[in-house]
Amino acid sequence: MNHGTQKTRMRPGSLLFALLIGASMAWADETCNSPYMSGLIKGQEDFIHVWTLGEPGLGDGSDKLVTIDVNPASSTYGKVLATVSVGGRGEAHHMGFTDDRRYLWAGGLDDSKIYVFDVGTNPGRPRLVRTITDLPDKSGFVGPHTFYALPGRMLIGNLSNSTDKGGVTGLALYNNKGKFITKYDIPTGTVGGVQGDGYGYDIAINPAKNVMLTSSFAGWNNYMRSLGEVVSDPEAMKHFGSTMVAWNVKTMKPTQVMEVPGAPLEIRWALGGGQNWAVTVAALTSKIWLIRQDTKGAWAAKEVGTIGDPAKIPLPVDLSIAADGKGLWVNTFMDGTTHYFDLTDPEHPKETYQKHTGRQVNMVSQSWDGKRVYITSSLLSKWDKAGEDNEQVLRGYKWDGKELTPAFEVDFTKEKLGRPHHMKFTAKAAGQLAYADSAR
Amino acid sequence: MVAAAGVLYASVASVAALAAVDPGAAVAPRMEFTPPRAGSYVLQKIQLIADATLLDPAGKPTRLSVATTGRITLLTFFYTYCADPLGCPFAYHTLTEVRRGVVEDTRLTKRVRFLSVSLDPTTDTPEAIGRYREMVMRDSTMEWNVLTARSVRALLPVLEDFGQDVSVERGPDGTPRRALHHMLKMFLIDHSGVVREIYTLAYLQPEVILNDIRTLYLEEHSRG
Repeated sequence: MNHGTQKTRMRPGSLLFALLIGASMAWADETCNSPYMSGLIKGQEDFIHVWTLGEPGLGDGSDKLVTIDVNPASSTYGKVLATVSVGGRGEAHHMGFTDDRRYLWAGGLDDSKIYVFDVGTNPGRPRLVRTITDLPDKSGFVGPHTFYALPGRMLIGNLSNSTDKGGVTGLALYNNKGKFITKYDIPTGTVGGVQGDGYGYDIAINPAKNVMLTSSFAGWNNYMRSLGEVVSDPEAMKHFGSTMVAWNVKTMKPTQVMEVPGAPLEIRWALGGGQNWAVTVAALTSKIWLIRQDTKGAWAAKEVGTIGDPAKIPLPVDLSIAADGKGLWVNTFMDGTTHYFDLTDPEHPKETYQKHTGRQVNMVSQSWDGKRVYITSSLLSKWDKAGEDNEQVLRGYKWDGKELTPAFEVDFTKEKLGRPHHMKFTAKAAGQLAYADSAR
Repeated sequence: MVAAAGVLYASVASVAALAAVDPGAAVAPRMEFTPPRAGSYVLQKIQLIADATLLDPAGKPTRLSVATTGRITLLTFFYTYCADPLGCPFAYHTLTEVRRGVVEDTRLTKRVRFLSVSLDPTTDTPEAIGRYREMVMRDSTMEWNVLTARSVRALLPVLEDFGQDVSVERGPDGTPRRALHHMLKMFLIDHSGVVREIYTLAYLQPEVILNDIRTLYLEEHSRG
């Protein structure tokens, strides 16, 4: 069977299989999904959904979910199969599956709207089924960024607040039906002797340790302003996150603040084989940080590596950890380079490969087996490059452990789609029939 | 608990080689922390349960709203013909661990129930779930109810409301087979019928579930 969508089945043999999946998905980077999510794709993904920023004057100008066929065995491999426009432009950015992988929640960093797409019924033809507009009113937060599945719920990491549009923000919890449940402020006071800055960005949970990590970026005032203006404004440059927070997942209370200067962004846990560490990358300082427990059980962040030449501000953005935790892809936006680090010793990441993959590159995602790597180009509408350097593409590569070989490319400008940002995979439910369609 | 986890670990590790891609040593869901004290945290109100009519082992119509109120309820979906005679081995193991703790805490025994709802009303007739209930109740007096539905059609809204994904295995000719695929979930429901926690495989930890039950008990008790 080519497709690997695997779900929990409650027969003994399948139970073990399910345990394997459940235990593994947390550190797989198919790649950065919540450990509470089912249906990990271990085989060939069929589709990539790309949450795409609308571009004025290009196509309908709206943010949209673009679905691309990425199965090499398909006659439409590398082609756009479907687009679902949301009818407005709100700075499309990140998205995340619900725990059952049936729905994809996607957020707008500018308008704070959240769109829920049904990708379970027919993954090749997603449908917009719900729009959530009450995040600012209910939580006081704006800029929904990370969508992290909890059982029956969606935990949303935000970037800003509706009062001053600065970086102090928090997490919002919704149930899967789109109803707001509660919110959690990211600490601005001292926790564990370290001063919090209240900033937010990514979320990553290690269930075995009952710990959640959050990272920190910047508020609306910075991310909706041109990058050139921000970097030339000393006051604006003071308003980037410089902390990570460890939380008790059960109580949802912060237990530690850790100093990680330079805007730590994406967080990836490596939980396999007794691993209980996570990595992040600080965008402004171009450093890799390792988060692990010290001998007393406290979480500690340690700088362990450098990406490119920090003096040139290569701006490392997205990262993708290998399924076994032994490798890490990192994209640096400014120089358009995709880097591979050997993480066999996470205390000493070693760059073993790099390739120029575009004039600007942002997101990077790899398949479970690591043989396919996908990149997109757009960072933020106000931060993307201009003119000829404003290349807007999705590129698919094959990875043999030594070389990234181009497999296909979709030119989002030529196709009049917009600026491609976050990617998520789906697969056809091979060998399964929807319960409602069964003859039982 | 530790021994059981060890068995699961060994079992899972033995099938790791069957996976399409070996991600490294596989492990069963682990618990490497001390759960926070019961009552020291709040369980959020995740969702109200939509009502439905199901069938009890006598074939008598039973309102789900009645079956899930008045006590703290731990609800799980299952089907009786899992290869294990008691079905759903891991879920069952977890439930029996939790039941042991409930029975040992005399405050809880008459305030907690388990509720198992069959995913396959075609096979799991009232008689079939009656036999299942006899098995699960054999060694305990703690309330453990079992319900089924008149039909798949009658069950679908319940599954949709709980967000319980189910699909049917298809044979090479495309026809449905008996095996059901579904995400293992347990739902902790307070005495007023509100879902307060949902456990999936990543953290089906009996000690945590028991503390959550105690937290709901203390919450109710503090209100008098």
